[in-house]
Amino acid sequence: MQKYISQQNLNTLLDTLIKQGTRVVVPHLNAGTPLYEPLQSAAEMITDQLPRRSAKEAFFPVCEDIMSYTKEGQQVSVADIDPSRFPETVLVGVRPCDAAAIPVLDAVFSWDYKDEFFLERRRKTTIIGLACTQADDACFCSAVGLSPADTKGSDLFLTPLEGGGYACDSYSEKGEALIASHQGLFTEPNNATALPLARPQTEAFDLKRVKAWLDEHFEDPSWDSIATRCVGCGACAFVCPACHCFDIVDEGTEKSGKRRKNWDACGFWKFTHHASGHNPRDQQPKRYRNRIMHKFKYYDDKFGQTLCSGCGRCIRICPVGIDIAQIVEEISKK
Amino acid sequence: MSNQPIDTSIYSAISTAIQTEAKRILAEEQVSAVIGYTTARRQGSAQPIVITAANDAAKLIFSPACVNNLAVYLTKAKKEIPKQGRIGIVVKGCDLKALVGLMGESQLRREDLYLIGVPCAGVLGSTVQPATALTSDSIAPKCSECDARLPQGCDFVPSQTPATPELEHKYAAEIARLEALTPHERWAYWKEQFSKCIKCYACRQVCPFCFCEQCLCDRNKPQMVETTPRPAGNTAWHIVRAMHLAGRCAGCAECERVCPMDIPLNLLNRKMAKELKELYAYEAGFEVQDKGPLTSYEEKDDQSFIK
Repeated sequence: MQKYISQQNLNTLLDTLIKQGTRVVVPHLNAGTPLYEPLQSAAEMITDQLPRRSAKEAFFPVCEDIMSYTKEGQQVSVADIDPSRFPETVLVGVRPCDAAAIPVLDAVFSWDYKDEFFLERRRKTTIIGLACTQADDACFCSAVGLSPADTKGSDLFLTPLEGGGYACDSYSEKGEALIASHQGLFTEPNNATALPLARPQTEAFDLKRVKAWLDEHFEDPSWDSIATRCVGCGACAFVCPACHCFDIVDEGTEKSGKRRKNWDACGFWKFTHHASGHNPRDQQPKRYRNRIMHKFKYYDDKFGQTLCSGCGRCIRICPVGIDIAQIVEEISKK
Repeated sequence: MSNQPIDTSIYSAISTAIQTEAKRILAEEQVSAVIGYTTARRQGSAQPIVITAANDAAKLIFSPACVNNLAVYLTKAKKEIPKQGRIGIVVKGCDLKALVGLMGESQLRREDLYLIGVPCAGVLGSTVQPATALTSDSIAPKCSECDARLPQGCDFVPSQTPATPELEHKYAAEIARLEALTPHERWAYWKEQFSKCIKCYACRQVCPFCFCEQCLCDRNKPQMVETTPRPAGNTAWHIVRAMHLAGRCAGCAECERVCPMDIPLNLLNRKMAKELKELYAYEAGFEVQDKGPLTSYEEKDDQSFIK
């Protein structure tokens, strides 16, 4: 059932949660850069900029310890990380493109191996989505079957209203529970009109057709023309709400150290560099091909979904202007 | 200072001149390829392109969105671009300084290049949309202190002259501000900036001088630098990067432009450049120098740092 929450009450809600020891992750400015990060005060929240990195890091941090070791003489002791100590979290102000990618990640992190780090954080997190009122010409959520008002992935969903405040709809038990425990802050819906939604300019892709082409064109000269200019950094994967590859490294001294899980990217030459020295993806177009194949074919083969929510971040930040929306659109017309 | 417009009306004639020249040198087989810029889908945007057919020369443009330093495509780090025969390349003054540096490091030979220089009024900063008009606010910080608007020693330079007004030197001002801080405050500033780093290595991948076939920072047997995006690894990486570029960096600021986390990396490079100018009277320029300031030794070199 729809409720109304004023901006002031939303701030009160977040401040109350923070006081109660809940981790409240919200878009704010870190040294001028918009990021989803844990807040100290609701006043720091911003709603007018898409964070530079996606919301995936609330569950899948840039870097996390997964084990530690110490060595004293011949005595080696290993300590696991206890996921039960992860804090209860409320993730607020999540754009539909970011929220929609979270169930997509659920599929892979709970597939053949249950990633306890991801899944425990996920269990403990309530996601409050926010309808999107700003799009630029890199946005293409509407091309991959989503929209600026898509509630996929959200437990509660806020729609900004004319005159301030938000219409609030619940889409899960977690959402209901959050409203129930802070009932005084939510009121009956008023009749205010919703602010105009963002209008992404890209036409819907024919994703079936894209996949059909990818099924048949692992080898194709167009990969060279698409990605010869790719410089092989990991920026596109790292800002992506759906990319989820990671690397495991041991770092420390002979006395003590940590095993860590870090974001990784298929754009890096080292990603498929074998111990033998052989690299099956020996040139950048082969690496970029994997990015497209994974998003629009492999993931679909395995999970029946597309690994892209059209946030446009990779388009905005690519050092050499590689434009995934344009590439996929062109493939859909082949 | 109020936001001043910057005249980029010459870019249209420059684009035409680049097209004509690229078409001629490709048709006459003087070059096997031309590396330049072309339009991209987003309004006002541009992207690098490599053309090998004279008929494709019409795709080439120059605009305030032509931000890339294309020199990176000539390095051995970019094996995908065939380096057969002579190659044409479109260069702004700042890009040319990097090419000159690469020649000094024996990475490129002048006779293998056909340089199409661009009289440049400036390009856009990384924080604005590509369709933004060029102004004193939207211009890339490096362009605010550019001394290379007219590239020298090229094979071809269109005849236009940029008329960019004198702008506030954004890096000089910021370096002065940071120098006035206490070491503790300065450390706090960089710690906050480096905390945003996600080790995507975009800064390394676009840098014309990061041409090592295996970066020390990618090694894991033994691990030289923590690869993890945590304070220790991030700080180590950015210090290694800045120090390895000292005396080499030509100031194209590509590292800073591409950083998805807005880390002001070129400030480190400019600070190193300032030190090198003061200590060794060295500056990146249009003349090839056989030895960089940190790869040569003279008895008169400053030794006051040895204590």
